[in-house]
Amino acid sequence: MSGSVTRAAHALAPLGMAIALLGGSATTASAAPQPMGQCTTSSGAVLAVDFSKWGGPIYRSCGTTPTTGYELLNQGGWRTTGTGHDGPAFICRIGYSGHRGGKQFPPPEQDDCVLTPPASAYWSYWHADAGENTWEYSQLGAMLYKPKPGSVDLWIFGGTDIEGTRGRPAVTPDQLRARNTQPTGGGRPAGSKPTRQVQPPPPGVDTGPAPTRTRTVPAPTRKAPPSPSATTPAPASVSPSPPASPAPPPSPSIPATSPAAVAAPSSAKVVDAAPAADAEHDSGSFVPVVAAGGLVVVIGAAAAVAAKRRRAE
Amino acid sequence: MPSPLTRPPLSASQPDTGGRRLPRTLHPMAWWIWALALATAVSRTNNPLLLFLVIAVLGYVVTARRTEAPWARGFKYYLYLALVVVAIRVVFRAVFATGITPNDHFLFALPRVPTPDWYAGIEIGGPVSLEAVLSAATDGLRIACMLCCIGAANTLANPKRALRVLPGALYELGVAVTVSLSVAPQLVQSVQRVHRARRLRAARTKGLDALRGIVVPVLEDALERSLRLAAAMDSRGYGRAGTATRNSRRITGALMLSGMCGLCAGAYGLLDATAPRILGLPAMAAGAVLCVAGLRLGGRRVTRTTYRPDPWRFDEWAVAGCGVLSAVVLFGNAGFNAAELNPSLYPLSWPTLPPVPAAAILLAGAAGFLSPPPQAPTPPTVTPQRTEAAT
Repeated sequence: MSGSVTRAAHALAPLGMAIALLGGSATTASAAPQPMGQCTTSSGAVLAVDFSKWGGPIYRSCGTTPTTGYELLNQGGWRTTGTGHDGPAFICRIGYSGHRGGKQFPPPEQDDCVLTPPASAYWSYWHADAGENTWEYSQLGAMLYKPKPGSVDLWIFGGTDIEGTRGRPAVTPDQLRARNTQPTGGGRPAGSKPTRQVQPPPPGVDTGPAPTRTRTVPAPTRKAPPSPSATTPAPASVSPSPPASPAPPPSPSIPATSPAAVAAPSSAKVVDAAPAADAEHDSGSFVPVVAAGGLVVVIGAAAAVAAKRRRAE
Repeated sequence: MPSPLTRPPLSASQPDTGGRRLPRTLHPMAWWIWALALATAVSRTNNPLLLFLVIAVLGYVVTARRTEAPWARGFKYYLYLALVVVAIRVVFRAVFATGITPNDHFLFALPRVPTPDWYAGIEIGGPVSLEAVLSAATDGLRIACMLCCIGAANTLANPKRALRVLPGALYELGVAVTVSLSVAPQLVQSVQRVHRARRLRAARTKGLDALRGIVVPVLEDALERSLRLAAAMDSRGYGRAGTATRNSRRITGALMLSGMCGLCAGAYGLLDATAPRILGLPAMAAGAVLCVAGLRLGGRRVTRTTYRPDPWRFDEWAVAGCGVLSAVVLFGNAGFNAAELNPSLYPLSWPTLPPVPAAAILLAGAAGFLSPPPQAPTPPTVTPQRTEAAT
């Protein structure tokens, strides 16, 4: 008797361990959204999401470490949607409650998020560790990658190839990362607007060519004065400002003289996204389910009647 | 009072049936077009309500319009297969964990298999959420629905008559398939006959001995039957090459081969978004044209007529049309929000029932009464001896 109990306990042990693991991962969810000023060059992870394909800015926000790329992207008003095929781990849509009421992009008309999106139009994931000024194409999914303190995570929408040589981000990590060495602006007034303008990039920093977007919509709410260098017709020029940082390789897919590249200054502005409440979620009504159930029952009854009549004949 | 003789005669195609429609079998292609169109419509949606509606509609049409032929009893096996598909999808989703988020509803946890760092992309085991199970089930349900559509076509359409519609160039292929299709029922018949004969002779009908006693005569029977069939086909002129010259055969082969290559390249170009544009539709169209030309040329040497060809009348148009219409509505994106076709389960919410697609699917179900009723099975003839024995 006691033997069977021990056996059962042994059998249950892995299950308990798995639950414990789950609990453990739940406790690491102490990762919290922070105002942008709390991120410094050596602490916190900066998250940046480029909505410029839909006329939005590049939002950036700050989160504490340790965290995962997924957690960073699902806190402080950020919310993602996975695909029906791959689950939540594959980031198919991204939305921020402070941007167009939390509408997630790409909208369902552009991608239904049922199957894995094509390599020509998806959210690609890029990292830059502290002090680095080149983007590294993520080799791990959002749920498995753990951003290091002081690093920048960037999500851009578009196409890449497997090596990540095409469709590289147009912004540089230095344009997005936190510059302060000490946390600042911790006590934000409660009634402040959720977003605020950041300093324009320092002069001499080119925002780079636009990525291979087919439909670049200029940001409608663009107020920031374009940086002086923004009109330089040599978009492939690399950012000279950060000393002792390797220059980002110019993206080979964009010819330096193409008109699209000249139009690059319309590159989206960078806006800080303050931690916000999650967008309202409406779980809908169960009436359609009841209605569909009723329809199925009616059709089933019709089939039963047909079957009975056949048997009678 | 006009005499009955002066009344206009009933038209030959519309005999007086006392208000009831004449039973006849629908053209098999009409059923296939209907079912494939419905499967196309299903491929567009992930909404479980719409999918259940499709299965209900398929069930109704199959019950109302199937015949009593052996192939017409198979729909329930397709339903079992559909269940298996859903189960496999759910199990795979649970085993190959796709991650759980703090917002998900935790169901249970499987023991996690540790994977080394360099293999961190794949997780095996781990917590399973209600959302993951439900989305795997709806995903599986969609494939299951498509399977059921094909199953309905197989149940409703006579496969032998469907093969007659093949273009002339594929005639011999069709004959071969027809012959092979009739093998299974013949074997069953043969086994039953041998079994009965053994029982009448009071031989053993069970065990290894009996197996040998049954298998050998059945094989012999099959061999004899096929030789008889070959002789009969030979005497009726099958396998005749017709008036084809060696040159025309070569041209046909070249046309078909290049056409197939074009179709393959076109399919690749259409599916891979990074492929050059020229590889998509143009290659597809060129391949299709070459194939049609090849089939035409190859069909020229087959000069055969069809015995009692299936007619294509209003009923066929109606059945095929209501299937195609449902696919057009679901792909048309008019009158409903495209997001309702693919509701997200993260976060959990009740699916909606968009009225236009639901109406389109119900319209496809109209095939159940638009098609003519199937021919009633011939009642088993009661032999006189048996009646005497019964009385």
